[in-house]
Parts: sequence; C-alpha cells; structure tokens
Amino acid sequence: MDFKKLLVNCLPSFLIVFKRFIGLIFNPYKTMRKISAEKDYYQPAVIIGLIFVYFKFIYFLRDKIYPATLIYILFIFNFLLTVVLFYLLSKLFNKNKNEITFSSYVFTFSYSLFPTLIWFLSTSILYILLPPPRTFSILGKGFSIFFVSYSLSLLVWKIILVYLAVRFSSKQNFFRIIFMIIFYLIWFIPYSVILYQLKLFRIPFI
Amino acid sequence: MRSMNLRMKQKLNEVFSVEPNDLGINFLTYYFKKITVYLKVAPFFYVIPIAFLASIFLYFVLGRFLVKLVTVLQYGF
Repeated sequence: MDFKKLLVNCLPSFLIVFKRFIGLIFNPYKTMRKISAEKDYYQPAVIIGLIFVYFKFIYFLRDKIYPATLIYILFIFNFLLTVVLFYLLSKLFNKNKNEITFSSYVFTFSYSLFPTLIWFLSTSILYILLPPPRTFSILGKGFSIFFVSYSLSLLVWKIILVYLAVRFSSKQNFFRIIFMIIFYLIWFIPYSVILYQLKLFRIPFI
Repeated sequence: MRSMNLRMKQKLNEVFSVEPNDLGINFLTYYFKKITVYLKVAPFFYVIPIAFLASIFLYFVLGRFLVKLVTVLQYGF
C-alpha cells in the first residue's frame, strides 16, 4: 500500500523532472527560475535516485576498489557540502536573510547535476563502444575532436546551470556569484585531488 | 477574474524575484546583457558550434596531447 502511494507520488514528479530537463536545454533561464520556487521534494529525490542507478551501473563496468554505495554516499556528502557552502555564503552577503531558503538550493543544485550525469553516463557507454586508449590515426583524432567539443558543450551548460542556480537561490549580483564560485573552487580543487589520490573519484561527480 | 489576478501576481513575483544585474560600469552592463541574451534561450544553438571550433583550435595548439587527454577523460568516469 505504501509502495503504491510512493509510486503515485513519484510518477508525476518524474514527469515534471523530465519536462524541466527539456526546459533546461531549451530555456535554462526561465526553467531554473521556476525550479528555484519548487516545493515538491520528490523531484530532487528522483534525480538523486537516477544518480544512484548510474553508480550501480558503472560498478559493474570497471574494476572498482570501493562499493558503489560508498561512492554514492560520498557523492551525497559532496553535494550537501556544496549546497551548504553556497547557502552560508549567501546568508553572509544577503541583508534580507529570510529571502534565502535552503530548499531553493537543494532544488536548483540537484537539477544542475544533469550535465554531469549525462557526461558521466555517455562516457561510460562510450567506454563500452569505443574503449580507450585513443590512437593517433585519423579516426582517433576525429573522435578526440568530437569528444572534446561534446565535453566542452556540456561543461558550458553546466557552468550556465550552476550560475543560474546560485543566482536564483541567492538573489545576488554577478560579481558576488563569481566570488562565491571562486571561493568554492579554492577548497574544492585540492579536495578533488585528495579524492583522486584515494581512488574514490577520478573526475569529481558534482 | 480574481484567480487571473492572482496568477498574474505570481508570475510578476517570479519574474522580478531577482534584481537586474548591474556590473557598475555602463558599457560592461550593456555588453553583459547583450551576451547573456544568447545564453538564456537555447544556448546549445551557439555553444555547440563554438565548442566545435574551440576543439579544432585546441587540436592545432595541443596536437597529440589532445588525443592523450581524451584517453584520460575516457577513463575518468
């Protein structure tokens, strides 16, 4: 009975997530503005659930030292750390403290995980179809150019979504948002290196 | 009529939820707004060709290093 209720609640949220996903491709500004005012917690749960499925999938793809669930818990920790940091920084800057809500950060940042998820998923599928290493032949070079342009496009999309997520959640201006992102990167880059050294993440999933 | 007013109010609240960006210098604000217009709606329309040109440029600059970089990235998931 409870499972039925959960399914009934999840299905509309899943459809909304899909609609918003399409919206973030074609109309990121307007869609992210709508997402920042969301109240349905099933939506981030659906996205986080999809990421869990992804982690389970890649566990069987490559020899991993750590179990998928552990990596997933670490991802949740990283995600919450990111959200809390931006939330606290916004609280520090904003005069009207009631204007900022933690939920807005959770919603916008969970939707901004889509480019990451797509890149990681497509890279793992390409790992099966066209396993590395790449050669210096014409085909190898051609694929390299394609892969770099594909990755760059998703990176730009990711930057746009993160900027919009901070913009609509914190309601700050451009310079303060850039400052917040730089502050975040100052600790996140060394942190990613530590994760790499521990063989937890080669490229951080964030 | 009342519900329409309420919807209109909600929409206005949504649209004006953030103040317009002001970069302090007029020409900077002007160009910022000019550029961001392209990123607000269908950014891939501009991003994909620019990314493709950038990767060709990177290939000419980095050469074989780009191919090695792709190999590293493919192991990155």
